[in-house]
Amino acid sequence: MATINATISVFSADLTSNSLSLSNTMTMTKAGTNTGLEFTSGLVRRKLTATTAIDLVTVGAQMYGTPTASVANKLYIKNTGSSSVDYIDIAIGDKDSDAGEELLATGGNSKITLGKLFGGDWMLIPFEGSANNDIIVVPSTAEATTIEWMLFFE
Amino acid sequence: MATTTNSLTLTSTDLFDDSLSISNTSTCYKAGTTIGLDQTTGLTRAYLTATTVIDLFPVVKGTINAAENGKIYIANLSKDETEFVTINIGDAVIGRLYAGDFMWMPWSPRAQHVNDIELVPSVATGVNVEFMAIHNFANIYPTGVDS
Repeated sequence: MATINATISVFSADLTSNSLSLSNTMTMTKAGTNTGLEFTSGLVRRKLTATTAIDLVTVGAQMYGTPTASVANKLYIKNTGSSSVDYIDIAIGDKDSDAGEELLATGGNSKITLGKLFGGDWMLIPFEGSANNDIIVVPSTAEATTIEWMLFFE
Repeated sequence: MATTTNSLTLTSTDLFDDSLSISNTSTCYKAGTTIGLDQTTGLTRAYLTATTVIDLFPVVKGTINAAENGKIYIANLSKDETEFVTINIGDAVIGRLYAGDFMWMPWSPRAQHVNDIELVPSVATGVNVEFMAIHNFANIYPTGVDS
């Protein structure tokens, strides 16, 4: 086992009339236990130069191991750019999906978009890892976009 | 406009032979701009006592607006390591937050019902959760009275 800590801080002095200051730390543990997650994809860095959708994190067997589905896996993604205009769309489903926004229960050709990561933006989410739950990335520009991601899994 | 910063540190001294240390800070901007997001749901704390699906952030209308952007924070405050909440976006499962876990992600609601952010507790014995959206959406709130 390993001890992996993640700390988030969200601060604003002027979003509301009183300041916002949120801080939280979690230790990544295996599902239903206090035992730390011990496997990782490593920090992956990819340069994308087209606006085509790609499967960034696919489910099932991978070169770094086979993440168990429906447990306590965590996924970190960052758009390393600095542009406030160019972004990557993050979606769940299949890269060969049509433009529609609906995840089909059994089909592979569907997706649902989570949101946009502009330059410098990051996200940390749980990773389900079950069938038809690939993480898809769609760059908004064909200019080089470099993203980093890391999966922590059991 | 407002200035809202968000930062993350990821650390481990024993995941690898070498230590892991990742640190990021970014600012919450409206899409395609350097103008800060200026709306929030506020930080909500809820005590959930059923295993039914609830909409944390529903999409009330279905219009896509390219100028809209948002960030979502959700935390499972349970102290029981066996308790989790499943986070969905529409029919897609994002994943499980076990006791003490949190998540932070972008959200760009595109279609009514399809892009709702939902939560399902694993137990009916009571789970505290916290959630907040920071955004400039027009479509997650009703625009008129319910009739």
